Amino acid sequence: MTEAAAAERPVATGTAPLLRAQNLHKSFGGVHAVFDISLEVPTGSIFAIIGPNGAGKSTLLNLISGIYQPDSGSISLDGQDLSGMRAYRRVRLGLARTFQKIRLFKQLSVLDNVIAGFHVHHKIPAWQYVIHATAFAQDRQHCREEALRLLEFFGMSARLNVFAGELSYGEQRMLELARSLATKPRLLLVDEPAAGLNAAEVDVLLDRIRMLRSRGITVIVVEHNMDLVMNVADRIMVMDYGRHLFQGTASEVQKNPAVIAAYLGGELS
Amino acid sequence: MSDSAISQRVGKEKMLRSRWVGYFLAALCIIALPLIFNDTYWRTNLTICAINVLLALGLDFILGYTGQLNLGHSAFYGLGAYVSTLLIVKLGIPFWAAFAAGVAFAGLAGMFLSLFAVRLRGHYLAIASLGFAVIIYQILLNWISLTQGPLGIYGISPPPAIAVGGAVIADFRNLTAFFYLVSGFTLLVYLLLDQLVRSPVGETLTAIREDEVSAASLGINGAAWKVFAFGLGAAVAGAAGCFYASFVGTLVPDAFYVNEAFTILAMVIVGGMGTLIGPVFGAILLTLLPEILRGIGDLRLVVYGAALTFVVLFMPGGLVQAARMVQEKLWPGGRAS
Amino acid sequence: MTTTIVLQQAINGVVFGSLYVLVALGLTLIYGVLVQINFAHADFVTLGAFAAYFFMHLIGAGYILSIGVAFLVGGALGWLINASIFTPLRRRGNELLPLIATIGVSVMMQNLMLTWFGPIPYAFETQYSSQVIRFAGIFVSWQNIIIIAVSSVTIALLYAFMKFTFLGKALRAVSQDRETAGLMGINPNYLIMLTFVIASALAGMAGAMLAPVLVLTPFAGTSVIVKAFAIVIIGGFGNVEGTILAGLIVGLIESYTTQFLDPGLIDIVVFALLLLMLAIKPTGLIAERREENV
Repeated sequence: MTEAAAAERPVATGTAPLLRAQNLHKSFGGVHAVFDISLEVPTGSIFAIIGPNGAGKSTLLNLISGIYQPDSGSISLDGQDLSGMRAYRRVRLGLARTFQKIRLFKQLSVLDNVIAGFHVHHKIPAWQYVIHATAFAQDRQHCREEALRLLEFFGMSARLNVFAGELSYGEQRMLELARSLATKPRLLLVDEPAAGLNAAEVDVLLDRIRMLRSRGITVIVVEHNMDLVMNVADRIMVMDYGRHLFQGTASEVQKNPAVIAAYLGGELS
Repeated sequence: MSDSAISQRVGKEKMLRSRWVGYFLAALCIIALPLIFNDTYWRTNLTICAINVLLALGLDFILGYTGQLNLGHSAFYGLGAYVSTLLIVKLGIPFWAAFAAGVAFAGLAGMFLSLFAVRLRGHYLAIASLGFAVIIYQILLNWISLTQGPLGIYGISPPPAIAVGGAVIADFRNLTAFFYLVSGFTLLVYLLLDQLVRSPVGETLTAIREDEVSAASLGINGAAWKVFAFGLGAAVAGAAGCFYASFVGTLVPDAFYVNEAFTILAMVIVGGMGTLIGPVFGAILLTLLPEILRGIGDLRLVVYGAALTFVVLFMPGGLVQAARMVQEKLWPGGRAS
Repeated sequence: MTTTIVLQQAINGVVFGSLYVLVALGLTLIYGVLVQINFAHADFVTLGAFAAYFFMHLIGAGYILSIGVAFLVGGALGWLINASIFTPLRRRGNELLPLIATIGVSVMMQNLMLTWFGPIPYAFETQYSSQVIRFAGIFVSWQNIIIIAVSSVTIALLYAFMKFTFLGKALRAVSQDRETAGLMGINPNYLIMLTFVIASALAGMAGAMLAPVLVLTPFAGTSVIVKAFAIVIIGGFGNVEGTILAGLIVGLIESYTTQFLDPGLIDIVVFALLLLMLAIKPTGLIAERREENV
């Protein structure tokens, strides 16, 4: 399995990293959630962040996506400094994310959820929002077709008109991914995507994430599930108590004594 | 094009046609009503109805589509009425210019208020809007040199007649003509809001209402859209105020007391918030019901309060939900949305 | 001369302030434990006042006793509204629906009271309103003294209850993290009901004490509720110390505005302050920010 995966993996080019974070600090009420974290994510790679519960992984993701602003330190996307930039602005730069606790629009259908993701890409002159003329119709058509394609990629074509709240957990995860891809990101942040999925669903998920990489999308995954991480990530960063513990390839991580100690009694096998 | 795509297209066109049929029927109703009810009493009621529909539409756009609990809609109603009237009466500004000014002022006030509480939990906005309505009412009541306070402003004229080449087409002192003016305007506003809601703007607003954090992850600037929606809804209320003033001819602050905001809220909730068509019927029902059931005149407000509570508890989708349930019973097997 | 006026108004400010605190404390306790607002809270104040009035005038009982009756009536109303509205709606999970439902209840209550009691103000005279003590040129009626005494004792008891008893700590636990509190064997439903009963009992009691110094009509509640909300926001939702502080401040602002400016401006001043707070520090005077969990 690892051999085939290695053969498929594109060679990391010598280009600048897509995402660079330097010396990030974030505290809540005196407790350090993230302490002096730096990382570089090469373009077109899959970068995993792992660590025990409370290690600060989700906080780090929230810092990158802009929900929190760091107390100090900087983040840049493709050379552009993200300091002070609110979350919604980062989407236009090509940054998308999913959430650990699934946040779909439960009262909307599967299709409408994905179409909502095209928000930053509409090409409609303002007046046509009121008087629906040609550009409006073309945009609607285009969005719909794109949405259908995305949903097909995630195997949800049969569930188009179902309300998102009625989907199974695994389907909701897929829908969330499809929706975030509607924003046409260069960098996708995925927060614990395998939580609550069975083995078969995890396999499909793995597959999709690999396919995303082969389409040039850089992926950062926060995960507990070691299978997913070891089989798919090009590079892994281990966190513990908000601090950087170790960074390296899958095999390096598995052998590192500090990592093993942190996970004592945990999931590393 | 595949089979399913073709049937989608056809289905969409059917819906489109039925929507325009709906508008056509509405226009017919509007034209017919004052001719059927040709006494002053009912024509007055119909006009008040139209004004209330306008108010309910504005509030539904704010509450139903962006989830902002605005408890002070009466403030924007009052601002529109007083600003336009004062401009006409004190500065002699022509009616429609004053109308535009009243609408703009109310809209800006709405945006201003929304800006305050935009990043806070819904309860903060609810209370701030209530406080705002109280402040506006107190200003209208106490700034006597400007508004004449409780004594009121008298002798407000209706809009100037429309004349083409010396021949008068519409004289708005005529109750029927005025009704046509207000309900025509209301129908246009409905059309405008409906078109917006059926465009990506509607999706955006729904996304914000459902989950603002999630919406932000799709690039939606929740704060800006909420302020925009509030401004538009408040502007619509301002227009209602302008019409009210020129309709009743007398302007007193009490017409814009905070209780009015709760009445409008009841119309939106009873009709079904977030549906646009629901509040239309909610407004019509709650305006006309007390007139039809004459005996309960004094208990009118108790009925509003009860309606509000029971709808929220037992049928939160209001009339629209009830209608859908009836539709399901009679024609089972409909599809989502 | 001016010092006397200042002191006189200070007393008035504390009198009204402590009553506002009683009302606002109820709101803030409910918000702390349930993150909800009972819009009919002020109508509990009004109904408490009427209950005290009728108890006194129909049965001929003493004033102090009627305050107790108002306390009980308030508590019963609190239980009722929790059982009929807040508990059923909690399952729906919509943040704003309960508030809207209680607006309906408030409108109903006010207008039912209007039908039953009429719009003409009731003169709520007690033997204490006319007896006045005088010191240092300041007039204080026994009514005012009772108000200050009863309020301070109640607030102190409540504060001690929250800080030192098991139930009080359980209440604070539930307001900080309902799930965890539940896991620790505390029954949140019971506690929420208890909170409603206490909060509304305070409101009823405040009504019985307010009525002799204010105008008793079915709409007495409205004049109070808006100020109570302002106090809750200025003090910080769910923050007991902040509410006490804010209540006294608002009471003082009110009396000084009445004295030195114009009574009609009271609402404007208080609300301008509210909006200012929202713009600068929306979480209130003392409270800390609660980060939303993503």
